[in-house]
Amino acid sequence: MEEILQQLEADLAKAKTLPEVEQLRVKYLGRKGSITLLAKNTDFSRLSPDEKRSFGQRLNALKNRAEEAIQEAQQRLAQQGASLGMVWSGADLSLPSSDRRFGAMHPISLIQRELEEIFQGMGFRVLSGYEVETEYYNFDALNIPPDHPARDMQDTFWLDDGRLLRTHTSANQVRALERYGAPIRAIFPGRCFRNEAIDASHENTFYQLEGLLVDRDISVAHLIGVMKTLLSAVFHREVTVRLRPGFFPFVEPGFELDVQCLICGGNGCATCKRSGWIELIPCGLVHPRVLEFGRVDTRIFSGFAFGMGLTRMAMMKFGIPDIRLFNSGDIRFYEQFPVSM
Amino acid sequence: MKISLDWISDFVNLEGVPPEELAERLTLATAEVEQIHILRRFTQGVVVGRIIACEALHGPGEQRLHRVEVDCGSQRYQSVCGAPNVRVGLVSAFAPAGVSLAGGTLITEQTIAGCRSEGILCSAAELGMSHWHEGVLEIPNSVLLGTPLDALVPVEDVLIEIDNKSLTHRPDLWGHYGFAREISVILDRPLKPLASYDLSEFQSLPGYPLEVESFQDCPCYGCLDLRFRAGVPSPLWMQRRLHALGQRTFNLAVDVTNYVMWELGQPTHAFDGDRLRKIRVAPMGKESGFVTLDGQERRMLPDDLLIWNESEPVALAGIMGGLHSEVSLDTTHVLLESANFRADRVRRTSLRLDLRTEAAQRFEKSQPPGNVITAVGRILQCLILSGETFEALSKFTLAGDPDSYHRPLLVEWEQVDRMAGVAVPREEARRILTGLGFQVATRDGLLELGIPPHRSRRDLSIPADIVEEILRLYGYGRIEPRLPIAPLRHLPVNESLQREHRTRRVLAGAHQFIEVQNYIWFDSRWLQELSWQPQECLRLRNPPSQHNGCLRTTLVPNLLALVRPNRTHCDSFRLFEISRVFGNAEEGQHERTFLAGVTYQPSRADAEEHVRVIRSALDDLGVSLCGKGFGFEPCSEDVSPWQKRGVSLVIHGDAGPIGGIGLLTGKILKTVVPDGQVVWFELDLEAVPIVVHPAIKFAQLPVYPGSWQDFSLLWDSDRGFAALEAVLNAFRHPLVSRRDFVYRFKGKGLPPGKSSYTFRYHLAAADHTLSAEEIDAFRSEFLRHLESHGIALR
Ligand SMILES: [Zn+2]
Repeated sequence: MEEILQQLEADLAKAKTLPEVEQLRVKYLGRKGSITLLAKNTDFSRLSPDEKRSFGQRLNALKNRAEEAIQEAQQRLAQQGASLGMVWSGADLSLPSSDRRFGAMHPISLIQRELEEIFQGMGFRVLSGYEVETEYYNFDALNIPPDHPARDMQDTFWLDDGRLLRTHTSANQVRALERYGAPIRAIFPGRCFRNEAIDASHENTFYQLEGLLVDRDISVAHLIGVMKTLLSAVFHREVTVRLRPGFFPFVEPGFELDVQCLICGGNGCATCKRSGWIELIPCGLVHPRVLEFGRVDTRIFSGFAFGMGLTRMAMMKFGIPDIRLFNSGDIRFYEQFPVSM
Repeated sequence: MKISLDWISDFVNLEGVPPEELAERLTLATAEVEQIHILRRFTQGVVVGRIIACEALHGPGEQRLHRVEVDCGSQRYQSVCGAPNVRVGLVSAFAPAGVSLAGGTLITEQTIAGCRSEGILCSAAELGMSHWHEGVLEIPNSVLLGTPLDALVPVEDVLIEIDNKSLTHRPDLWGHYGFAREISVILDRPLKPLASYDLSEFQSLPGYPLEVESFQDCPCYGCLDLRFRAGVPSPLWMQRRLHALGQRTFNLAVDVTNYVMWELGQPTHAFDGDRLRKIRVAPMGKESGFVTLDGQERRMLPDDLLIWNESEPVALAGIMGGLHSEVSLDTTHVLLESANFRADRVRRTSLRLDLRTEAAQRFEKSQPPGNVITAVGRILQCLILSGETFEALSKFTLAGDPDSYHRPLLVEWEQVDRMAGVAVPREEARRILTGLGFQVATRDGLLELGIPPHRSRRDLSIPADIVEEILRLYGYGRIEPRLPIAPLRHLPVNESLQREHRTRRVLAGAHQFIEVQNYIWFDSRWLQELSWQPQECLRLRNPPSQHNGCLRTTLVPNLLALVRPNRTHCDSFRLFEISRVFGNAEEGQHERTFLAGVTYQPSRADAEEHVRVIRSALDDLGVSLCGKGFGFEPCSEDVSPWQKRGVSLVIHGDAGPIGGIGLLTGKILKTVVPDGQVVWFELDLEAVPIVVHPAIKFAQLPVYPGSWQDFSLLWDSDRGFAALEAVLNAFRHPLVSRRDFVYRFKGKGLPPGKSSYTFRYHLAAADHTLSAEEIDAFRSEFLRHLESHGIALR
């Protein structure tokens, strides 16, 4: 009997897969297995009652020890198998998962949500505005002169009723000031429209995110500080920024904010057109007249505003070469932006 | 706008400043530099020569060729020339054999049409001065023959190209002198004054007959009647600079007006003085034609402003002169116009005519009226610099207000520091402002300024404008970034955005929907295919195309248009869009955020199951937004081609209908896609209340086991599930803890017109195990309820 057990243990030690162990179980403990047969083939009638008892006890012990040995081998191999990705009992768990998958979000939704979270983390509230705006909020209240070219039919979509499709999210500035007053820290993401011919880099429909901060004694130094902090969060690393003059009627002084090219580190490459800088955010201190339109006391408060092109940020971030894809309705485009919010 | 460093050097010493550094500093302080161009000219070895003989060559293919003899002082050459302007007496540039010209052409001795040619007469293009090659260069007679050309036209110039978009508010930067002023402040080097002839000298002469009818569009008009050799070539220093900027040269009168425009920003115009008797500035008055000096007939509208000689129009104000009053080769009588035209008037006319001339571009930036006088003085000064004499026939005649004084403004020093966020050194600020042409005085912490007339009122009028002037030249890079300090404050959640984001998470995150965005307008051609028109909608006055004039009142049609193209690369898909729709409300904003979707499956799929799956996605959405699913009721009428009785449901919120869902059938399905199933839905997302943080009440876990009871009910198939559900909802019993719908069975063994609906009820009590009697009592009460509605068990 001990020989059988020794033989089993030797066989088990050689077994490399669970099916082999199973074969060994059948070989020793199956209906025609050697241990089973040992019991069957013994002529108990020739044994004394004591012998019978003793034989039975030894046989049971042998069975138990054989089963233990087999279980142990099974567990050993199962654990190995799990770590090696091997098959078990004929079930192949490495087959591909079913094709049920996530849907997808519009890339603008992703980038908008990301920026909202960054700004909310800096204490900005997120406000919504109107896509159909009045000339007052889109132009007049932003200190844009009545004869400014931006108001032309060539640039702005006008409605029959005299309203227009907002040309920039800046249209929210005075609305927000009127409603919430100063101090305020807010962003306004949204869709904007300009009467432009469409090509790979021009769309008549695009997305912006406007930011406004009005408080006591807000200065150019604050604007640079906030922009730098914000852009470091957007690009997940320290960024270098610079301001240069830019003219927009609703800010004074007005700036173009450039960020040092993240691809070449400022040495010049194709992305930054060899300049080392990428023009990113038009911004400036809010024009006192705009604050006055928003009924803010300019003796106490000042502020800054900035506009980010969400569409442009998405193109940069995801490497999208053609702006027309955003409104293309083509699943193969959107599918590349899985749910991540 | 390109600026030539050769030209700038007239006013500021640029020695020791590499162009790259200058460009960078201009970008940071003034306007964005786009590019630096090195202009290489090929004037070495070329000499000035006069044509002393010119004889047309006759023969096949030689119509335009001339044999010329050129006197280059110490030497004479023979050459063959094809230029249209060759003539005896013309002084031009001659490149003898051995000289290299633009494009790598090496001049050699050749025989052309049987004539020996020892070199060539050169066009501006051949000399690398510009791309003009319409004729050979014309040089004033006064230049000594044999003069090496590179003494007059240096081999190299550097051009800095500025982005015009960054100059829209700076009329002064549309000329070199404005840039020279900026550069002098940037480099802290002196600016030489712009020498100008004193016009008061002509004060005793009679005025020129002048009448301005529209001061609104022409605030200031000045003219001077002059006699000088207008048709002769302008000097080479003038020509080389105009060429460098891409400005074609013509004759002294035209070139000098262009030169002063490129220097000062102020466009002027030279009329043939013999053709004019009296100037009138007046609108066209009626629709009519006018031939501009490029020979094109333009259609004028009544409001377009023109310059008239009595009753005959002679120029398009601020844009282009007329063909018949142009200065020609032998003109010696010129009426010089220097005027200020309203930016918007010029822009509208020039845009409409697509005539974006250099003059129009400058007037569009609101040129300061004071330049009207400066430009004329400068033109006369340039004539003197050209070695020409002139005789004034009139005094400088001016109508309107040249507005050429400094405008006062008070600025607190403290305000400058506060806006900058740093203390700007006073002395440096004073230097900057003085350098920019401001009158500067300081008193008691105040800056008393005079804003120079060359800066537009639109650009400079309030203290913040002055802060910008100081800081940009002080250097934004010298301002240490700081973060504002603000009190801790609770930020309210933006519920409408929260609603949109949650919708995206549920549909895209849990139900395989793909988010798309469509345009804000309908496409009328597609609506026609769908046989549907919105009852009323907001209309665009200037739509992107004639088919896109109507803003969306529903998101469904544009989504349906996406089914067919996507079907070619996808077997089944689910799309959704969150976007605004617009009602045509009489007053106030009527803009709402809608959610809509379309889903596509192949024909073989179970259509009812298709709708049910999408409905359960909407139910999940309802739970996520407001803690419960929506109500769905059969749609009792045909609302639109997609929302039809029998195949669609109305979605209900707490306050009534908020949308619909349905299956496309019949004609519209065929229009949308050749095969397959399409389900649509749409709901007014703003009508769904959002519970940002739902009030969840924990229910005690059951202690006593409950009992499951199944019921199969016979119900008229036609009446539908929703009606049956309403009946069941009306039955309330304290033991019922839950009810599930299991399945519907249609088919054999059932009474005609009936289907069997199986429900599973869970019965339980909180404080004891149910007895058989209680369960029996429930059953009989429930069956009585069913019976009262005519419902039998199967
Ligand atoms: Zn780069």
